[in-house]
Amino acid sequence: MVVVLFGVSILMFGILMTFSPERRAAAFVKSPQQVKEIPKLVKKYGLDQPFYIQYVRWIKEISHGNFGYSTVAASPTLDAIKRYLPVTVEMNLFSLPIIIILGIWLGTIAGIHRDTFIDHITRIAAIIGWSLPTFLFALILLMFFYSQFQLFPPGVISDHIDDFISNHPEQFIQYTGMYTIDGILNWNFAVVWDALMHLVLPVVTQVTVVIAILVRVMRSSMLEEISKDYVITARAKGVDEHTINHKHVKKNALLPAITVAGWLIALSIEGSVAVEFIFNRAGLGLLLVSAATQLDIPVVLAISVFLGLIYVVVNLIVDVLYAVIDPRIRLN
Amino acid sequence: MTKILDIKDLVTNFYTYEGVVKALNKVSFQVEHGSTFGLVGESGCGKSVTVRSIMQIVQSPGLVESGKIFFSHSNDAYDNSIDLLKQSENFMQSIRGNEISMIFQEPNSALNPIMSIGQQIAESYIFHQKKEIIEKILKIGNEENIFPRVSVNNILKPLYKLANFNPESFFLKLLKKVPILKYWDKAILRTAIAKSVELLGLLGIPNPERIVAQFPHNLSGGMKQRVVIAIALASNPVLLIADEATSNLDVTVQAQILDLLNDLKKRDIISSILLITHDLGVVAETCDRVGVMYAGNLCEVGEVRQIFKNPKHPYTKALLGSVPKAKQTDILKSIAGNVPDLVNPPSGCRFHPRCENAMEKCKQNFPDISKVDKGHFVACYLYLN
Amino acid sequence: MKTKTEHPKIKEFKYTLYRIFRNPSAIIGVVLLFIFITIAVLAPYIAPPKFKHRPYMMPHNGYSMTPQPPGEGRIFGTTSGQYDIFYGAVWGTRTAFRIGIIVVLSAFVIGAVFGIVAGYYGGLVDEIIMRLVDVFFAIPFTILAMSFVVAFGRGLNSIVIALILVVWRRYARVMRAGVLSVRDQDYILAAKSMGVSDIKIMLRHVFPNAVYPVMVIAFMDAGSIVITAAFLSFIGLGAPIGYADWGQMLAMARNYIVGPAGEPLKYWYTIFFPGTFMILFVLAWNLFGDAIRDAFDPKLRRK
Repeated sequence: MVVVLFGVSILMFGILMTFSPERRAAAFVKSPQQVKEIPKLVKKYGLDQPFYIQYVRWIKEISHGNFGYSTVAASPTLDAIKRYLPVTVEMNLFSLPIIIILGIWLGTIAGIHRDTFIDHITRIAAIIGWSLPTFLFALILLMFFYSQFQLFPPGVISDHIDDFISNHPEQFIQYTGMYTIDGILNWNFAVVWDALMHLVLPVVTQVTVVIAILVRVMRSSMLEEISKDYVITARAKGVDEHTINHKHVKKNALLPAITVAGWLIALSIEGSVAVEFIFNRAGLGLLLVSAATQLDIPVVLAISVFLGLIYVVVNLIVDVLYAVIDPRIRLN
Repeated sequence: MTKILDIKDLVTNFYTYEGVVKALNKVSFQVEHGSTFGLVGESGCGKSVTVRSIMQIVQSPGLVESGKIFFSHSNDAYDNSIDLLKQSENFMQSIRGNEISMIFQEPNSALNPIMSIGQQIAESYIFHQKKEIIEKILKIGNEENIFPRVSVNNILKPLYKLANFNPESFFLKLLKKVPILKYWDKAILRTAIAKSVELLGLLGIPNPERIVAQFPHNLSGGMKQRVVIAIALASNPVLLIADEATSNLDVTVQAQILDLLNDLKKRDIISSILLITHDLGVVAETCDRVGVMYAGNLCEVGEVRQIFKNPKHPYTKALLGSVPKAKQTDILKSIAGNVPDLVNPPSGCRFHPRCENAMEKCKQNFPDISKVDKGHFVACYLYLN
Repeated sequence: MKTKTEHPKIKEFKYTLYRIFRNPSAIIGVVLLFIFITIAVLAPYIAPPKFKHRPYMMPHNGYSMTPQPPGEGRIFGTTSGQYDIFYGAVWGTRTAFRIGIIVVLSAFVIGAVFGIVAGYYGGLVDEIIMRLVDVFFAIPFTILAMSFVVAFGRGLNSIVIALILVVWRRYARVMRAGVLSVRDQDYILAAKSMGVSDIKIMLRHVFPNAVYPVMVIAFMDAGSIVITAAFLSFIGLGAPIGYADWGQMLAMARNYIVGPAGEPLKYWYTIFFPGTFMILFVLAWNLFGDAIRDAFDPKLRRK
C-alpha cells in the first residue's frame, strides 16, 4: 500500500514536470513576497535539474508539511486545504450513510422481487441516476428549487448567520468547522437548520448519482446468493421466505457489496467536485476547480496526494471490515 | 393401515424457454409407515422432481399441475391423511423440517457459510419448537420437555412470560428491530444450541460442543452431511427424504452415512425414509421397497428382493443387467438409445423407442398398472391382461 | 426419433437476443442509440454547416450576449453570443460519439493488453502492472482527468488523451480478473501442452472468454465519458467557445442559468436542449450496457 502512495506521488509529480520551471517554482514558495523572486528560486532550488533530484527534494519538503504556496487561496497550501476541508467532509458525512442504507435496501428488494415491477423501476431509477451528469443534475435542481421556488439556497450558510458567527466568536465556537456539528455542540439550532437547508440539494444530488452502483451490486449479489443450495436447505427446514431473504441471503450478499465501498467513497468525493462548484460551497472541490483553471500547481498536487492517502486508508479499512464479517477469512 | 405417503397421479411441468418440460407423467406410489422406500433411476428421470413436488419446493419455472399427495402423520386406526397439494404455504412451512425433512446431495453447499453450525441446527428448533423452549426456560409445562435448562437474567423473565402468553405479540416484534434490545431472547438460542450439542452426540459426532461453534468450512464433507442430517432430525420428523444424499461422498463415508441412517431407524429416531439414488447397491443395502423410474414415469414397484430377483419391466431388467458383475468377462451390456427429450417425449410408454419388446400399442397410450405379485406392480403391456 | 434442430451457435445467439430484449429498458436504449446514430450520420443534412471546412464551429448571427428563445430560423434558440443551439446539439452528437468511441477503444486496447499480460503471466509482472493500476486508481476519475488536462493544456484533444489515461485502469483490472478465472481451465492447459505459443493462447482462448465483462463496462463507459468531458468543458478546460460540444454549450450558458427576477427560467432553452441530448445519450448507452450485462451473466441464464 505504501508503494501505491509513492506511486501516486511520482505520477502527480511527473504530471507537474510537464510545466516550465518558473511555474513549478510556486511549489517551493512559502509566502507572498517570495512569489516575486521566482527566477532566483528556479536557480536556488535547481528546478531545471533532473527529475529524481527534484522529486527527492519535494518529498523532503512535504515531510515538513510544506506544500508550497497557493496562488488561488493566497495562503500556504496546507492551510488552504485545512480551511476548505470541513465543508467537503460535512457534505459527505451526510451523503454516504444515506447512500449506503438506501442503496442496500433498494438493491435487496430489487433482488428479492426480481423481474417484477419493483425490480424494473428500481433499476431504471438507478440507471437514470447514474446517467445524469452530476453538474447538470445539480444545475437543474438549482434552477427549479432555488430560482423558481426559492427553497434550498446555494452556498454553505446564509449571510446573516455567517456575519453572526464571524462577529461573535465568543457565542459560537467553531470546533470542527462544520456548521451542522458546531451548531449542535453550541446548542444553536438556528445555525443547524440553516446549514441543513443549504445541504439538502447538494446531498440529494450526490446520493442520486452515486447510489446506482450500490443498488446494482447489491441486486446482483442477492440474485447470486438466492440460487444457492443453502437456501433450499433452509426452505426444507420450514423457514419462511422473509427470514430466508433477510437473514440468510442478505447477510451473504452484503459481502461482495462491501468491496464496492472503496469505489463508493471515491465516487462520492468525485461528485463533491461538481456539486461544490455548482452550489458554490467553499470546499476542496471548489478549490480544486479554481486551481485547475488557474494552473495553481501546488494545490492540484497536494489534493491529489491527499486523495491518494485517503484511498489507501479506505482500502485498508475495507479489508479489515471484510475479515470481520466473513468468518471464512478470519485468522484461525 | 394407512400409508405415510400415498402419491397418486402426480404431474409436474417446467415452463422453460425451449418449451414445456413434462417432468412427471402421473407418478403414483406408496410408502408404508416404518419402511424405507427407494426411488431409483437414471439422471434426469424425475426422482428429485418427485420429492421436491412432495415438499412443494419445486424451483421455478416448475409447477405441480395435478395429482394427490396424501400424508399421514401416524399409523392410527382412522384415516388421518391430508392432501398436501391442497394445503397453504404456511401449513407446508410447519410441515417442512418438522414432520417431513429432506437432506440433499451436496453437503458442501447445503450449509450457510456465514452461520455457525449450532445456529443452523438451532434454527430448526426455534422455528418449530419455540413454545417448548420458552416453557422450559420459565420452568413450566411438560415434565417430558426435552430441552436442557438454561439460565436467564431475572430482568428479562417478564418478556419470556409475554412471549409464552402471546407468541405473536406486537411489542415483541417491535423489540426485535431495536439494535441492542433485540437480543433479549438469547436464552432461546442458547437452549436450542445446547440441545443441538446433544443431537450431534446422538449422531456419533465427536466433540459436539466444539463443532457447534464452528463454521461449515471448518468441517469435512462427511461431517457436513452429518450436520445436515442433524438439522433434518432436529424436530423429530416422521419421514426423512434423502435426495442422493450419499452420491457426492467417498465410498467409505457413504457407507458410514448409510449405516447411520439404518441405525437411526432401528433406534426409532426416524420412522420412515424415502431414499433417492441412482445406485442399485445402496438400494439393496438399505431399502425395503423400491420404485424404478424412467423419464418421468414409474415403471415398476415392489419389494427389493422381488425386484432384484424377479424384475418384470424391460427397463428394470435392462438396468439390472447393465450392472457389471464381479466375475464378468464379456462385454458390458448397455441400454441402446438415449434418454428422451422431455419437451417432446415419446408418445405412450416413454421407454418404447429403446425397448426390445415394444409393441404397437406401446406407442399409443401409457399402459395401466398391473399387479404381478404381492405388492409388486408393473406398468407394461407385457403383463396387462 | 430425430427432431430438426438449428446450429447451436444460432440458437445461443437467438437466446441472447431474447434475454437482451425481454427487458423493456434495453429496447428503449437501443432505440435511443439508433436515433442518435441517425442524427450523427445525417448531421450535414439536418444542420448544414456554415463554414464548409470547419463544420464543428457553430454559426452565429450577431454577437449579442443575450440568448434568444426558440423562434424563426432558430429551432432551439440561440445561446450567449448568438450561437445556434440546434446546430450545436446536432453536431454535438457527432462530437459525443467521437469522444466516446475514441476514448473507449483506445483505453480498451491499452487496458486489455495490460490486463491480459498481468493475468496470464502472474508473478512479478502481475505485481508491477497491478501496482501501476492501483496508482492510477488512487485518485478519483474526474480529478485525475482534471490533473492531466491541467498538464496538457486545455482543448478537446487534451480531454480525450486525459480520459484515455484514466479510463484504461478499469479495463486492465476487469480484464485481469477475467483472465485469472480462465487461465487455470483445462483447455488452456491442453493448449499449452500441445505447444501453442503464449500469444496465440492469449488471443484465441483467453481473450474471448474473459472479455465479456469488459465489453459491458466499455459500453456503459461510452456514455459516462461524455459526462466527464462535458464537465471539463463546462469549467472551461475543454473545447473553445463556439465549438459544437454539449459541455461547451452548457459553459456558454453559465451566466444565464438564473434569469432576471420574476422570470427565473427565462433562458431555460440554453440548458434544456444540450442537457437533454446529453442525458438521453448517456442513458441510451447505460440501458443497453445494463441489458447486455444481464443477458451475458452466466448465473442468470438458463436455470
